[in-house]
Amino acid sequence: MTQNTNETNKSLDYSAIRDKERAAMKKQQIRTVILGIIGIVGFLVLWTLVVELELIDNRLIVSPLQVVQEIIVKFYDTNPDGALLPEHIAESLKIALSGFALAVIVGIPLGLLMGWYKNFDRFLRPLFEIIRPIPPISWIPIMIVLLGIGVTSKMVIIFFSAFVPALINSYTGIKLTNQVFINVGKTCGASNWTIFRKVGIPSAMPMIFAGIKVSLGNSWSTLVAAEMLAAVRGLGYLIMMGRTYARVDVIMAGMVVIGVIGIALTGLLELLEKKVIKWKV
Amino acid sequence: MKSLKKIFHFILPLLSLVMLVLLWLWAAEAIPSFPSPGEVVTRFQLLQERPISDTSILGHVWASLLRVIKALALAIVIGIPFGLFIGWSKTFRGLFKPLFEVFRPIPPIAWIPLISLWLGVGEASKVLIIFIGTVMPIVVNTYSGVAMVPSQLLDASRSFGATNSQVLVDIVLPASLQSIFAGIKTALSAGWMVVLAAEMISARQGLGFLITRGSDTNDLALCVISMIFIGIIGAIISYGFDFVERRLCPWIER
Repeated sequence: MTQNTNETNKSLDYSAIRDKERAAMKKQQIRTVILGIIGIVGFLVLWTLVVELELIDNRLIVSPLQVVQEIIVKFYDTNPDGALLPEHIAESLKIALSGFALAVIVGIPLGLLMGWYKNFDRFLRPLFEIIRPIPPISWIPIMIVLLGIGVTSKMVIIFFSAFVPALINSYTGIKLTNQVFINVGKTCGASNWTIFRKVGIPSAMPMIFAGIKVSLGNSWSTLVAAEMLAAVRGLGYLIMMGRTYARVDVIMAGMVVIGVIGIALTGLLELLEKKVIKWKV
Repeated sequence: MKSLKKIFHFILPLLSLVMLVLLWLWAAEAIPSFPSPGEVVTRFQLLQERPISDTSILGHVWASLLRVIKALALAIVIGIPFGLFIGWSKTFRGLFKPLFEVFRPIPPIAWIPLISLWLGVGEASKVLIIFIGTVMPIVVNTYSGVAMVPSQLLDASRSFGATNSQVLVDIVLPASLQSIFAGIKTALSAGWMVVLAAEMISARQGLGFLITRGSDTNDLALCVISMIFIGIIGAIISYGFDFVERRLCPWIER
């Protein structure tokens, strides 16, 4: 009987400790959120103060509020770059996503095949190693000469920037397939091709997704560079025009939009990752 | 039989290189403005005799490299302590990490218009733009390196009575060195890309400038020469860095 009460006491103690621990964690979380808000709000206030007190020349900086205002204005005013904000966004997204999609469609299968079949690797590796160290933006002039400043040349440049991480990660991912699984497949009489499809590819999935994320980030930043150098529309063009007309509000508004879309794209990809890789915790 | 296989394995990589050269020759044939390998070599010899902006090709390489080195040094000096603090102190992390995450998604290249408006098109603005590109991966990797230090190490050092600063210097820093190095490596290749973009938009020297000069004067051979040099330097950077890393952190398994 005494033993029994002792045990209940003990378990009570544990749950008390657990509750305490949970409360402490919750407190910590709340603290983190509050600190984060303080950090960002403090930054915005500081920024506004710098503008309002004219510590920096007004032609060089505008307040956060003015940036938001300019973003709204750009929805119905084509000044000074000749297009509305939604048109710029649509153009940029179209090019970035098509180049990215092409890179993923070509890069992932190539990487998987190179990782699985040695001869394929031997054949393609030298080509890949030659192309890899050349930053994609340095292709811009050549692509302009070959394909003009239209959509295709920018798509090809973005393809280059997104292709490399997609390929490397699927290559590494499938190389890391657990040998035990492969052996089990062989023992059960599966062909190399079946093992490749049923064992290799699923086990490479998390790495592939990590690669896709890098690819998407690369596509987006390369797109901005490409549009700054050669375009008549798009977000990169928008901020470049802001520079040409010395319109700081346009530049900053464009940068904010570029950043927000970058976050949104990554977020969408993470959602997709959760759907596809259910087994990953 | 075995030797036949070996020969086959040896031929495969060569085959793809031969195909690349053939493709290049065909492109030069099909598109008049596209230079053939021979034309590129001739142009390179001419470049040796008549350098652009009074700077030899190696001078341009050095101009670009120097910008990256300056920015990277600045990024290391600022980024590593910042990352350490974010990883180490909960208050510091709560205060600055969200702010950092707000700036992170803006590509470094998108800063070019704003910074050139602020600082002009001189050396300082280029270094600042490259700094933005290089400091991000360094901070992220330092921070995640610190966050991943095994808690046994921290507990053990505490049990032996280590002070806060001792733990930071003797335990956390070495344990996160590998991650920091990976960050510096990413930063270096990111910097090498950003410097080109910055130079392509405005510069008087550097490989990015050479590329734009080539495309402005319809001199594609010059573009190809610059791209070859960019690729060579990029490759040297990445292999050289692996070498240094193996020397400095020999305990890393690979």
